[in-house]
Amino acid sequence: MSEHAGDNFEDIIRRALAPVEPPEDLAQRMETTLWSLTELAADELEGWELSSMRDPRNWVRPVAAVAVGTAAGVGLVLLGWRRQHRRQRNVRGAAVEVRRIVRR
Amino acid sequence: MDKAELDREFSDLYRAHLRDVYSYSYYRVGNHHDAEDLTEQTFLQAYRHFERAVAESNGRPLRPWLIRIAHNLAANLYRDRARRPQTPIEDTTTLSAVHTTEDLVEGRDELSRILEGIDDLPDDRREALIMRFALGMDNREIARAMGRSDGATKVLIHRAIKQLEEIVNTRQAGRR
Repeated sequence: MSEHAGDNFEDIIRRALAPVEPPEDLAQRMETTLWSLTELAADELEGWELSSMRDPRNWVRPVAAVAVGTAAGVGLVLLGWRRQHRRQRNVRGAAVEVRRIVRR
Repeated sequence: MDKAELDREFSDLYRAHLRDVYSYSYYRVGNHHDAEDLTEQTFLQAYRHFERAVAESNGRPLRPWLIRIAHNLAANLYRDRARRPQTPIEDTTTLSAVHTTEDLVEGRDELSRILEGIDDLPDDRREALIMRFALGMDNREIARAMGRSDGATKVLIHRAIKQLEEIVNTRQAGRR
């Protein structure tokens, strides 16, 4: 079946499933997030999920939590803003998605 | 281990496996947008449970644990949205984003057929192939990530490759 003479099938699968490099802005965002998290007290993180950041009403809790450490707070708030900004910029249906998540 | 040391270890884990988690997420959900979200949530979840995972790992690699978190989050994503990936991994745009120009020129049709075939495999077989070939995990790591025995995992991968080959050959014969 191969168009690559001499290749065995596993080599072809390996080529098809090539590792995917994460976008650079994801790596930068993750660094910011992790830096913020390491500044937070572990118990403040209990029950907190990134997904809840989609709902602006849920920003109160993490923002309040990081208010203890000003620098970390700035990072986290920026992260929330960036995430929101990115979604609005990249996804036309962002408003629909937000409404759906809020209704959960 | 104090918090500073734990944070340093987690940072090392993140740097070592960001590409693994992203690759797994991408092939699992089929588009970059959801793959980014899944990757972020995986590391956040991992951070919350890192201390316990280190304590329970007995020095074993933590990559299977990370991938298992991604697997569970992806399952929740599908459950929440009650849908399959929005962008099939055989999508032309996706293919060109992942593979080198050389790959595409030499074997675009063949790679497309493979990805189509992978998408048609049962979930556990597809996942095992992603872990083996996109992440380069060995049988033991895949077994830990999937919560199976080493023997069962070996059989699973063997059958997945055979089934994929049959799917691809059948389709190719049908096009002649």
